[in-house]
Amino acid sequence: MDNLVAARATMAFSLGFHIIFAAVGMTMPFLMSAAHCLYLRKKDPAYLELTKLWMKGVAILFAVGAVSGTVLSFELGLLWPGFMVHAGPIIGMPFSWEGTAFFLEAIAIGLFLYGWNRMNPWVHWATGLAVGVTGFTSGIFVVAANGWMNAPAGFDWVDGVARNIDPVKAMFNRAWPHQSLHMQLAALQAVGLAVGGIHAWLWLHGRAPDLNLKALRIAMVLGAGASIIQPFAGHFAGESVARLQPVKLAAIEGHFETSRHAPLTLGGLPDVETRTMRWGIPVPGLLSLLAHRDADAEVIGLDRVPREDWPPVLITHVAFQLMVAIGSALALVGVLWFWFQRRGRFPRWFLWVLAVCAPLGIIAIEAGWVVTEVGRQPWIIYGIVRTKDAVTPVPGMGYHFGLFLALYLALATTTIWLFHRQIQALQKKFGG
Amino acid sequence: MIDILILFIAASLLLYVLLGGSDFGAGIVELLPAGRFRESQKQVINRAMGPVWEANHMWLILIVVILFMGFPAIFTTLMTALHLPTLALLVGIVVRGAVFTFRHYDAIQEPRSQRVYTWLFGLSSLWTALWLGIIAASLNRGIINPATREVWGAWFAPWWGLYPLAVGVFVACIYAFLASIYLVGETEEPELKRRFVRLAAWFNGLVVLSGGFVFLASLTERESLATTFLRNPLNLAVVALATLLFIVLWVFVAQRRTMLTRIVASGQVALILLGWYVLYAPNALITAVGPLNFYSEAAPPATLRQLVIALLVGGIFIFPSLYYLFRVFKMSHRTDSSRSGRG
Ligand code: HDD
Ligand code: HEM
Ligand code: HEM
Repeated sequence: MDNLVAARATMAFSLGFHIIFAAVGMTMPFLMSAAHCLYLRKKDPAYLELTKLWMKGVAILFAVGAVSGTVLSFELGLLWPGFMVHAGPIIGMPFSWEGTAFFLEAIAIGLFLYGWNRMNPWVHWATGLAVGVTGFTSGIFVVAANGWMNAPAGFDWVDGVARNIDPVKAMFNRAWPHQSLHMQLAALQAVGLAVGGIHAWLWLHGRAPDLNLKALRIAMVLGAGASIIQPFAGHFAGESVARLQPVKLAAIEGHFETSRHAPLTLGGLPDVETRTMRWGIPVPGLLSLLAHRDADAEVIGLDRVPREDWPPVLITHVAFQLMVAIGSALALVGVLWFWFQRRGRFPRWFLWVLAVCAPLGIIAIEAGWVVTEVGRQPWIIYGIVRTKDAVTPVPGMGYHFGLFLALYLALATTTIWLFHRQIQALQKKFGG
Repeated sequence: MIDILILFIAASLLLYVLLGGSDFGAGIVELLPAGRFRESQKQVINRAMGPVWEANHMWLILIVVILFMGFPAIFTTLMTALHLPTLALLVGIVVRGAVFTFRHYDAIQEPRSQRVYTWLFGLSSLWTALWLGIIAASLNRGIINPATREVWGAWFAPWWGLYPLAVGVFVACIYAFLASIYLVGETEEPELKRRFVRLAAWFNGLVVLSGGFVFLASLTERESLATTFLRNPLNLAVVALATLLFIVLWVFVAQRRTMLTRIVASGQVALILLGWYVLYAPNALITAVGPLNFYSEAAPPATLRQLVIALLVGGIFIFPSLYYLFRVFKMSHRTDSSRSGRG
């Protein structure tokens, strides 16, 4: 395997793996704390049961998140020394704050997991909440680093060297607001729906119905709520991309020729050879309207940059379509959830819908990151450093990739197996 | 600014070795035959490590963040020349952390899977300790050559050899020694306590032996440790002091002064690290083309300022929380053993 391709594959795979556990680490503690709070106030043992069940999930997933995150912080140097040597001093700041947040998170999780009966119950509860707050905060910080790769700021680029470095400006780059808003919502949405979906499935199979319904109600507050807000945040992200990275937007939409009154193509596959969109349904003027709030505005196309500076158009476009399709469907599910909740009962078919939706949020997160990262190519720092110039000179990256592929697949399999065993144990306890 | 950062790196490394290291040491202890202690020893280690291992592990992340933000050239040179040992280290870290947690939270506790977890836990702990030592030894050998792209010279020679291996073994022995000493205070069961004391004595001997082996192995290096040490008598004193402290340590062990034994053992390891710092400071790396030191390789002042602010402000939150964590789990008297995390 080509070294650059292998390094990119390794990075993509490690990040794609980490983000699942990171999303869980930013959301599950809140669900757990909600159940814990309900238990402490109502003394209903079902909530205690639920808290402990979720706590075990958090413990397992947090550990995998922590070790895969450790791998990432080293991989920035192992794979991209040509990036870090420039980027470290500029964008290390959010990482240093992220590190602080992680430290507090690691302390809080130790206190929560092992602190039963050792502390005042409400102090103990607060340590659980602190896990969520610090995890959520660290997620916001790390996205600042990624935002900077998309919208570099806080330095002058002189003859291949960064001068006048201003880490504060770099951290508060222009891509941070939309990316962190969208990502944090995505975590709440994806994990809320995943947890809700699993409990809906368990409920449908008649297992511990009371417990599972309680779990579903807590999880869907976040899952359904975030699902409804997410398309707006996504639209905000799209508008910002139109401003900051017009080439990425062109790739997202398969928009080859710069034009006014640009159409939005629903579905369809871009063909880079003929520079056309095939099999899509164009809606005239909609792209101009969405990107610039004016149906006659000019939208920059891929023709504005040389061919070798195009990102992979097909991948970016398909990933984007997938994300938006899921986002739209989930928004509908969110609305339905609140509607049924007001009516006070959930029909069986809707719980099946929820069960089917369990993995969709996670898939949308993965697709979204593919849009962001693949859409930025060939740049690692947009417009400044090319990915191929940042890659490590160490040969044999293909082995590195293979090693981590095997390691992470083993980890993922074991994690799933462990969850299966948790459910088995639950079943034994409650029958069904 | 730079001095504060060097201090933070030195302190983080020390805390990582003392706290994180003893967690790896516990894994090494579990690798040894334990007979009828197998199960009770596992429970004690789960209880001792469970609440703190993720926090203890953070010291390593802190070092990495300080390096890549504050000293990017040092970080990238390291990650390039020592790519392979770092990769090996990471595999160990991943397996150790995951397996330790899996073992505790597996909903169905049965002998067969538990045995596999324990075995992997021990093996990955030993593995990680070895590679950390190998990496530490490779920093100052003068072999790293950023200019070469020749396969052996660039990616293998920097860490290959008897000396790095000897340091790796030394680190593993230190970890296991620390773990045994710390574990004595983690159980009230007299027989198990005696077992940990016995293990501590064994590892004490191994630390001294492997330390001697490090000196011998360094004879195969460009400059042997003996030469380096003689240039710097302060170091000789530090190492001598660390060795003498063994006598104090065993007096305290005999008197069952748990806290004092922990402090003395930690002090010994701190002295060894201090000796190592003094030997090479302020150089972070000695490469074939000369040393890379913290002062010349530092990032611009604006960056360093932000880094120091983050560390100091972070410290205001982190240190009290850490103190609370250790107070809750390490200083209160344990009255029963049923308070494990599974509640
Ligand atoms: C649950 C997950 C999820 C869902 C339902 C959506 N997204 Fe998304 N999207 C993400 C999860 C995500 C993400 C993984 O969080 C990304 C990757 C990088 C980022 O900041 O957010 C992202 C990136 C991302 C970008 C690129 C941002 C950039 O490169 O700076 C755009 C333009 C959109 N999204 C737009 C949308 C629209 C219009 C949606 C309509 C419903 C939508 N997303 C739903
Ligand atoms: C966790 C969520 C993330 C996911 C799933 C993700 C996904 C990806 C993918 C798919 C690639 C490969 C792109 C390609 O080579 O075509 C990539 C590359 C990369 N990402 Fe991200 N990314 C994430 C967040 C981040 C963050 C927060 C950073 C922060 C610095 C980052 C830094 C990088 C770097 C350095 C590369 C390699 C260079 C490049 O391909 O541009 N990523 N990532
Ligand atoms: C290049 C990118 C990244 C690096 C270097 C990185 C680094 C790390 C590290 C070192 C940890 C372990 C902390 C511990 O031991 O407790 C971690 C965990 C975590 N990361 Fe990442 N991370 C990256 C991307 C992301 C992204 C994009 C997010 C989310 C937006 C994220 C969110 C989290 C969270 C919430 C945790 C807590 C652990 C858990 O809940 O499982 N990280 N990360």
